[in-house]
Amino acid sequence: MSIRETNPNFMNGVPELLILRLLQQQEMYGYEIVQAIRSRSAEAIAIGEGVVYPVLHGLERDGALKSRRKIVNGRSRIYYSVTRAGSRRLADLSQSWTNLTASIQKMLRGGQYAKATL
Amino acid sequence: MPKPLFENELRERLLRAGVAPRHVRRYLTELTDHFADLKAEEERAGRSPADAESAALIRLGSMDELAQAMTEEHQFRSWCIRAPWAIFGLAPVCLLAGAYLIACYILWSGWKIFLPGTDSPFIPIHGLAVFYFGVGRLLYFSAPIFVGWIIALVAARQRLNPIWPSAGLTLIAVMGATAQVHTNSPTVSGGPGHVIMDFTLGSSLQGNLLHALTILSLTMLPYLIWRFRKGHSISA
Repeated sequence: MSIRETNPNFMNGVPELLILRLLQQQEMYGYEIVQAIRSRSAEAIAIGEGVVYPVLHGLERDGALKSRRKIVNGRSRIYYSVTRAGSRRLADLSQSWTNLTASIQKMLRGGQYAKATL
Repeated sequence: MPKPLFENELRERLLRAGVAPRHVRRYLTELTDHFADLKAEEERAGRSPADAESAALIRLGSMDELAQAMTEEHQFRSWCIRAPWAIFGLAPVCLLAGAYLIACYILWSGWKIFLPGTDSPFIPIHGLAVFYFGVGRLLYFSAPIFVGWIIALVAARQRLNPIWPSAGLTLIAVMGATAQVHTNSPTVSGGPGHVIMDFTLGSSLQGNLLHALTILSLTMLPYLIWRFRKGHSISA
């Protein structure tokens, strides 16, 4: 019997996926990102808004995001955008989540032996 | 922009948990901006400033949530926590060794430039030589104190417990007190001699001890005063 690999970031990867997806369209700063997540998920995803920053900083440290300071309306903002490595990471994460949700849907509809590929 | 109330408490929690000061600074800057945006949004929605502030704080996240989000990421941990032996042992020794190397080079080059043909650079000097050798001497005597202050500053910024910083300060004090510079006469007439440095107890153990205690008190005292004041301000 082979040992199946599990994904320890099963749920932890959600903010990362959403952030990369949003930032692929346009650069944003933290507040904008959180408001975009709230509005596009119809407020279904509710987290303490401040916890988005460790995720952003971690992604930047991994090279998936880059940041720059920009003065907007007299205030200094840190804008984030996706790098090439970030786009690749987004593609991988999206694929994983698509497979996962398809498998879960299948199980919910009664297919007991559906195979999840993470 | 006025600083929100959570800032000081969160800063202390993150630093004490081992998050690197630069990550703490950036996190707090962005949180403060985010808080201001949330407050403005709530005020636009018709809340009073006090209610808007409360609502903004709730939306931002609890103190535990905000702290945990940062502390559970090991990549933000300071090197003072990851490798304290390197930060308070190896790095100060390397810094001090570098400073001593420069001081010895100044002595050797000054001997060659200003005192060619003499058996030792430790003789009465005049003019520009006084300044030149003075720079080397200043570096030699002040290096342990400066390195000690750097250790104290790093420890204070990270809110570390005093074990590792004290060990580092003691090591630097011992090195500073036992460092000895000797010179050998030139082997070739008119050529440069040799400058040798070693770490040994001199003729007077009491003198070494006094020197070590002087360095230790000059470096440890500001750190202890800072700790006392910080502890006092937190408990107040």
